Amino acid sequence: MVREFKLPDVGEGVAEGELLEWHVEPGDTVSEDQVVADVETDKAVVDVPSPVNGTVRELLAEPGDVVPVGEVIITFDVEGEAPTGASGSQAAEPRDGGEASAESEQDATDSASGDGQGGRVFAAPSARRLARELGVNIAAVDGSGPGGRVTESDVRAAAESDDASDDGTDDGKQLKSAVSRIDDGEGGDGKSSVGDGLKSAVSRVDDGDTEASPSEATGGAVEAASRDRTLAAPATRQVADDLGVDIDDVPTDEVRDGQAFVDEAAVREYTEAQQRAQEADAEALADDAGETETAAGGEASETVDAAEGDRREPYAGMRRTIGEAMQRSKFTAPHVTHHEKVDATALVETREKLKARAEERGVKLTYMPFVMKAVVAALDEHPVLNTQLDEDSEEIVFKSDRNVGVATATDAGLMVPVVDDVDEKGLLQLASETNELVAKARDRSIARAEMQGGTFTITNFGAIGGEYATPIVNYPETAILGLGTIEERPVAVDGEVVARDVLPLSLSVDHRVVDGADAARFVETLKEYLEDPTLLLLE
Amino acid sequence: MVVGDVTTGTDVLVIGAGPGGYVAAIRAGQLGLDVTLVERDAYGGTCLNYGCIPSKALISATDVAHDAGDAEEMGIYADPAVDLQRMVEWKDGVVDQLTGGVEKLCKASGVNLVEGRAEFAGEHTARIVHGGEGQGSETIEFEHAVVSTGSRPIEVPGFEFDGEQILSSREALALDAVPASMVVVGAGYIGMELSTVYQKLGCDVTVVEMLDDVLPGYEDDVARVVRERAEALGVDFHFGQAADSWEEAGDGITVRTEDEDGEIAEFGAEKCLVAVGRQPVTDTLNLEAVGLEPNEDGFLETDHEARTDVEHVFAVGDVAGEPMLAHTASAEGEVAAEVVAGEPAALDHQAIPAAVFTDPEIGTVGMTEDEAAEAGFDPVVGQFPLRANGRALTLDERDGFVRVVGDDDSGFLLGAQVVAPEASELIAELALAVEMGAQLEDVAATIHTHPTLSEAVGEACANALGEAIHTLNR
Repeated sequence: MVREFKLPDVGEGVAEGELLEWHVEPGDTVSEDQVVADVETDKAVVDVPSPVNGTVRELLAEPGDVVPVGEVIITFDVEGEAPTGASGSQAAEPRDGGEASAESEQDATDSASGDGQGGRVFAAPSARRLARELGVNIAAVDGSGPGGRVTESDVRAAAESDDASDDGTDDGKQLKSAVSRIDDGEGGDGKSSVGDGLKSAVSRVDDGDTEASPSEATGGAVEAASRDRTLAAPATRQVADDLGVDIDDVPTDEVRDGQAFVDEAAVREYTEAQQRAQEADAEALADDAGETETAAGGEASETVDAAEGDRREPYAGMRRTIGEAMQRSKFTAPHVTHHEKVDATALVETREKLKARAEERGVKLTYMPFVMKAVVAALDEHPVLNTQLDEDSEEIVFKSDRNVGVATATDAGLMVPVVDDVDEKGLLQLASETNELVAKARDRSIARAEMQGGTFTITNFGAIGGEYATPIVNYPETAILGLGTIEERPVAVDGEVVARDVLPLSLSVDHRVVDGADAARFVETLKEYLEDPTLLLLE
Repeated sequence: MVVGDVTTGTDVLVIGAGPGGYVAAIRAGQLGLDVTLVERDAYGGTCLNYGCIPSKALISATDVAHDAGDAEEMGIYADPAVDLQRMVEWKDGVVDQLTGGVEKLCKASGVNLVEGRAEFAGEHTARIVHGGEGQGSETIEFEHAVVSTGSRPIEVPGFEFDGEQILSSREALALDAVPASMVVVGAGYIGMELSTVYQKLGCDVTVVEMLDDVLPGYEDDVARVVRERAEALGVDFHFGQAADSWEEAGDGITVRTEDEDGEIAEFGAEKCLVAVGRQPVTDTLNLEAVGLEPNEDGFLETDHEARTDVEHVFAVGDVAGEPMLAHTASAEGEVAAEVVAGEPAALDHQAIPAAVFTDPEIGTVGMTEDEAAEAGFDPVVGQFPLRANGRALTLDERDGFVRVVGDDDSGFLLGAQVVAPEASELIAELALAVEMGAQLEDVAATIHTHPTLSEAVGEACANALGEAIHTLNR
């Protein structure tokens, strides 16, 4: 029997992943749980394990492909089960020629359209009735109940997101729901198991002619398509949002299941075309005004010329995710950064004293746990720095948790593991948890869940070297603390210049929520704790 | 229109007052529609009059007699005498009470009751043909129609029902004396239920079945428990035998069968019950007048709203295809009525339970292990044998089991197979669990009354989780 393996949902909100590498080839024998591929999502690299003992039949994606969650990427011939006459050439003779292959096709269609598992939807009759009342295709709703059961609130949420994106016609209801489901997942509503419905909505039926876009055909201004409904992966919708483009306006020739489908390339192309057109308009106006200046230098295309020998790497995967997060934070939250230096002499001594004790217990004690404890102590006094701005409801959410993210440089870029409930943990526990999470981030074995739920972030650029910097807030948090290098520096004490251990601090805040005075007060409190770590004993 | 005809108009014409039709009519009436329900025979249809209710009444009565006479192990010595005629009268009383109840409920819901046979005369008209000559007829104009004409027993060629020697299930439920011997053709659920009844009443029952076991469609171990119990009661099974012909022989008959190799066998008996299945009743409806045609199996195909190919015509119950179960008919009837009334109803039940009233009973719901695997789940099975259940032993019942099938990944309960006394009741809890999308853990962690058979349900779920207390875990 041929077993299909779909790119699994690796965590909430993840809608697609880039296939990095295959570890197997067609014909290879694999055992259950053997890693067959590495896939990079926008947060982590995940191992794709074989679900069966068997033989690799077909690889359906190439390294570098971005594959939507739920798309079949590999098929296996399962051990002990005779191959059927699906698509492979080595299949055994079909028992009944045409019928057998027709059945296989039907199977394939079923799985592609989300009708696997007998079309079973796990939901109470009351939830199913509500779905009918609200016109929601319950098969396309993500369940947040036990085991993924669809609850009435899941149905209502799906209905609301449908309303937001739909003109109310019945056609394509399933597709629309599937796509809105992805949106739900992006929104981080918890357990997004982006499933089969998604696949039918965004699977790449044809990877062909994306470059033959309408904008190139016309070479200039592109008319907005003004559709009522557009299918697109969440990542594409995000890009459109970031670029300020209405996805329904992006021209496309691609169709998925009867609906216009837009990919990221089309969004970018349309944006560029619009920009070129605007510039052309501006030039025309300038010409009309008698300006003699030509368009030289006026080309605002974002295309970067590359000279011979220059190297290009795709701006994709985690790099792009980090970039987009930074861009969103920087351009959404007006940043202000407060700098301060702390006399860390006592901190250095305290840590020296405790370091050996910690080592005896097998824990490497850095300054980070001290800073974390000091931060949460200061947050208690200045809770406005432990907030998130809910832009939708126009409310500032004061978080009750004290979950501190620790920005970590990895080979793949910046990752932020989160240590939960820092206020409830001792130094050693914090040290060991942080060390463990950071190590997992570095070897990229960290789970998405371990990078979520943060309420405040610390970035320790000083570990590499440097004094002050401008940390970018880990949006939607509202504050981030940057640590410089602790070094002996000249400090005036009682009129004498003496060498003291000094820790430079850089605190960036979202100025929409946090005022400069709040930031300064927070840092003053933080300073007290760091200058006299024994105060932390009271916490 | 025939001169003298009376024409009336109605929102919904329901044809057939079985468990599909009367439920559709009552619900439509509740929803404020003008409803006309046409029944040519008896309110309650096959279920109340000739099927479920009378058979279960006789099974229960028979069990009383049999159990009393078979309880020496418990220290009870009795030799019950059965007056079948009295038993049938009692059964008829039960039936009358129920059919009367249906009629009253229909009237109370504002349903217009019409006696006669309805046949379509046009897209929106039907004629009511009353029984007998000279009773005139009338025409009903309808906005919507719900066809619920049910099914009738299939006749085996050469074995036309005569009500004397060759019986259908309907006639077998109305005998006034226990025959000395009976050949039962067919070992499906009707054949097995009635074989057991008559064997317990002292009749020598011989079952001839074309296939190689009883209860086709059920898993081997489920069927085996029932067959072995029937064999222990004295039922004589002959598999691989197709009924070929019969002839009168002395006071009784000889039934001739033929096996695959052409070998002929003969079985003598006083009567022969033919129970090889049921076929939908569509030939009385003049369907073409409304633009409908049955499929090759004779059923009217319907969608998830119980709607046929003709927008304003619905079909529910046996006439709308498998599973031919009364409770399915009722569920479909409700949906049809609600859809007609503009309600957002649909047939989206996740599992339909089924019960067979053999000894022991069988109750099933949802998927078997194989079906779950085929549907793409990773099935995990939990089983609890009746012999480990205290209540079962106090009932002097040891044969059977409760088996549950779950999905190993999500823990969802996908199906169950129960072979046990009261399996028809036990399956209800599991049907609820499957329908609700409950997990094995939900059922296992629900406290079950002690000492009851239902404990076996909880234990089977616990067993699937490797946590059963009263049996070794898998």
